[in-house]
Amino acid sequence: MRPVPFPAARRAAACLGLLWVLLLVPAAARASVSRGFTRLLDAVVRIDVRETSFESGGQRFSAAIGSGVILSDDGLILTNAHVVNPHAVQVSVTLANLERVSATLVGWDHWTDLALLRLDLAELKRRGLTFTHADLGDSDALSPGDPVYAVGTPYGLTRTVTRGIISNNRRFFSNDDGVDGYETGAFNNWLQTDAAINPGNSGGPLVTEDGRVVGINSRGYLGADNLAFAIPANVAKRVAAGLARDGAIIRSYLGLVFGPLQDLEGFYSLKQNTGVLVNSIDPGSPAAKAGLHGGDILLAINGSAVDGRFPEQLPPIQNVIASEPVGATVKLTVKRGDQKTDYSLVTEKLESHQGELWAFEKWGLTVRKVSRAYARENQLDSDTGMIVIGVQPGFPAAAAGLSRGDIITKINQEAVTSLEIPKLLHEAYAKHPAPTLVEASRNRLVSLYVLKP
Amino acid sequence: MNFLLARRRLPGRGLVLFAVALALAGLAPLAAPLRAADDLPSLWKERVKSVVAVEFYTETELDRRPSVVFGLVVDNAGTIILQPGVINPRAQPSQLKDFRVHLPGRPSTEFGQAEYLGQDALSNWQFIRVEEKLRPQLTPITAFAAGTPVEPAMAENVWGIGLRDKDEDFQPYLLSSTVALVQSLPERTAVALSEVAGPGLPVFNHSGTFLGLAIAGFGSSYVEYSRTEQRGNPVMLMNVDESRVFTLAGDITPWFTRVPASVNGRPITSLGIYGVQPMDPEVAAFLKLDNQSGCVVSEVLEGGPAEAAGLKPRDIIVAINNQPLPRLKPDRVAVDFLDREISRRLPGDKLALTVLRGNDRVELTATLAEEPRLAREADRKYFEKLGFTVREFVFEDAVVRHIKRAEQRGVIANFVKANSPVSAAGLRPDDWILEVDGTAVATYAEALAKLAAIEADTGRSEFVMLVSRNGETAVERVKLK
Repeated sequence: MRPVPFPAARRAAACLGLLWVLLLVPAAARASVSRGFTRLLDAVVRIDVRETSFESGGQRFSAAIGSGVILSDDGLILTNAHVVNPHAVQVSVTLANLERVSATLVGWDHWTDLALLRLDLAELKRRGLTFTHADLGDSDALSPGDPVYAVGTPYGLTRTVTRGIISNNRRFFSNDDGVDGYETGAFNNWLQTDAAINPGNSGGPLVTEDGRVVGINSRGYLGADNLAFAIPANVAKRVAAGLARDGAIIRSYLGLVFGPLQDLEGFYSLKQNTGVLVNSIDPGSPAAKAGLHGGDILLAINGSAVDGRFPEQLPPIQNVIASEPVGATVKLTVKRGDQKTDYSLVTEKLESHQGELWAFEKWGLTVRKVSRAYARENQLDSDTGMIVIGVQPGFPAAAAGLSRGDIITKINQEAVTSLEIPKLLHEAYAKHPAPTLVEASRNRLVSLYVLKP
Repeated sequence: MNFLLARRRLPGRGLVLFAVALALAGLAPLAAPLRAADDLPSLWKERVKSVVAVEFYTETELDRRPSVVFGLVVDNAGTIILQPGVINPRAQPSQLKDFRVHLPGRPSTEFGQAEYLGQDALSNWQFIRVEEKLRPQLTPITAFAAGTPVEPAMAENVWGIGLRDKDEDFQPYLLSSTVALVQSLPERTAVALSEVAGPGLPVFNHSGTFLGLAIAGFGSSYVEYSRTEQRGNPVMLMNVDESRVFTLAGDITPWFTRVPASVNGRPITSLGIYGVQPMDPEVAAFLKLDNQSGCVVSEVLEGGPAEAAGLKPRDIIVAINNQPLPRLKPDRVAVDFLDREISRRLPGDKLALTVLRGNDRVELTATLAEEPRLAREADRKYFEKLGFTVREFVFEDAVVRHIKRAEQRGVIANFVKANSPVSAAGLRPDDWILEVDGTAVATYAEALAKLAAIEADTGRSEFVMLVSRNGETAVERVKLK
């Protein structure tokens, strides 16, 4: 079992019949009524999103509810990348005073599961609405056992406060398709808390007694009792600043896949707390071209020693490489057997394995472009092609026999090197429907299909 | 039916049986599976001598798996053929032990030993040969074959032999039915209305002429609603003892003489192509292939005959030796047809191919070659203390892993014992072992030497392997103490 993101109570879920139970509540902890805490409550918002979805062979809309926290006077709101992503077509924010205003996406970063929104200030001004903002605290100062509060809108229930403690302040969790199919967790550790977090809490703040935001609640184990993960505020600070400035977080990539050394030091004749194991090298990556391979030990990056004995030590090391500018030369000191060698590698831009999505309505076909990372992961010869993610029954693609997971490599003998090619062919088809030959592969087996009007 | 009735507690059991017998007698003229014109009992007596039950074991690292299958006697030298699926394709001939041939209806304590001869690459049948002492009691099926092959007509009544289990001394019993459909798959194949013979056993017409061989695994499953499962969940029943499909004698009789020259079934003829895919009639029409079919070649294997002939991945084969690929139903059969055309030739034979490449029609000539060493032929060794079997890396491992010949190295974990030291370290079957103790394993012999030294060293507390799975490598640390 692994933690799943909590979006995003789907609207339907919010309508589930709730059992109202009268409970005698003991006096709440005094801290919760501090001035800072009251101010924090006013900065937490509910976020309603409508987004385009591509899974059904046509362009559809889906809706979700999440939480968020206002960070600044100019209306920046921090939430989860799995609550608001670039496919959002409409984002409404419900302020603490229950007024609903629009917001736009400034940028998102699925690696840290964070997204930054901006309130429509003109609308606020026109309607004479005001808001307050919260302050980010220092998440590095947290210790296990510290009391924390989760604030958000679980299942759409606005301004819900739950209480817990920091269960672990350095939880390792990484997943290759954890945020709507995008990778997450490779560059940060997580705060773990037992404060009750439910679907809809996503993107809301985890706060200390004085109302400072120390984390952004994002995921939990379904079916477990209060095992929830939040992104530490110190990570959120950097990411939010980057998103506000550039609209995206650009990271560097070398193609190294690390593994914890655990107690392999003896085998590799290393001093304790020295080096990190290179488990694998992505084919075709800068590291592969430089001749690194699985089983190497990385001792230092640009002369600074690294220590990767345990899983939670890996994200910071990965982040050192990711934080280099794209195209920078990085010096890696690598031990192989008794040999110690320095390698100079030039970084590439880090890309997700998730490619661009598109719907070809007349064919009843939705696709995702094969990305360079996807091609590498799946040992494809090149990034030519698009992956079928949905077919609509009764439409030409489904009738021809195409199905989810097929990789379309050619249409009418033209290689699908970019989505522009099928888009043009689809436009032509829409105007003058004519049989169209499609070449697709499924588990390396190549077949032909004819899309017929 | 009788049996079920008898088990119920009905008053006057004798009366019931009598009633059933009466009902059957009354139905007989209608159901009449056999015409009384021929003397079935004497036909039966002769023909039952061409069938046997065969027992054997497949020995693995940990256990011996027994199999009981049916066999058909094909010559006077005691040669018996078994259906393709009865032996695990991953098993090596040396793992197959203790073949015993039982005559139908004889006490199961009596049997003849048999020798495994190998699998034929064209028919895919497994061949065995029974010891001499049993041979006089056998009659080859060829004794009942027609001079010119006969094909059963639609609705013709046919009969065949079934064999009961070992606890009933493999008692032979009569099955009969009516031919409902004859089709090319690509061999001429008949489907009967109901079960007509045990899989691997013969089917005859009313005059006792050999018509065909019943095959297994062809749409003979039933759904029933369970009485023991909660809420009467449907259960799928498959009749593994009987079949209603048989391949016709005309196409398969010539294969009876294809006794493999060696136990590994060599020669095996190869064109060096991978992932041949059929096309549907819409695609064929689009490509203007009228009343014929074509097959897409997904990959052309490195160093193989097709590559040498200039075949390219994604070429569409439309004709062999200038004969267009026939349009067979279902589409998939066109691929089997192509397979047979290759398998029935010998390494060194020439094969002319006509392919569509983009908008061009290209003529190529390939010289067929011997199939590279297969995984089932690869050398292997079990390391009991470490808990795994390593196997030599062969060409098909390179094909599956999508790597070049030049990158071939290391060994394959062919078997991993549950909860053994290597299993606890994370090793899984089919993992590709690249390094042992930090140094590359170039050859199988090198791997054996290293692992044998590790296993023999009682002072060793751990060793490390670099292992590749799904294109990703990982270092696995094996704790021995």
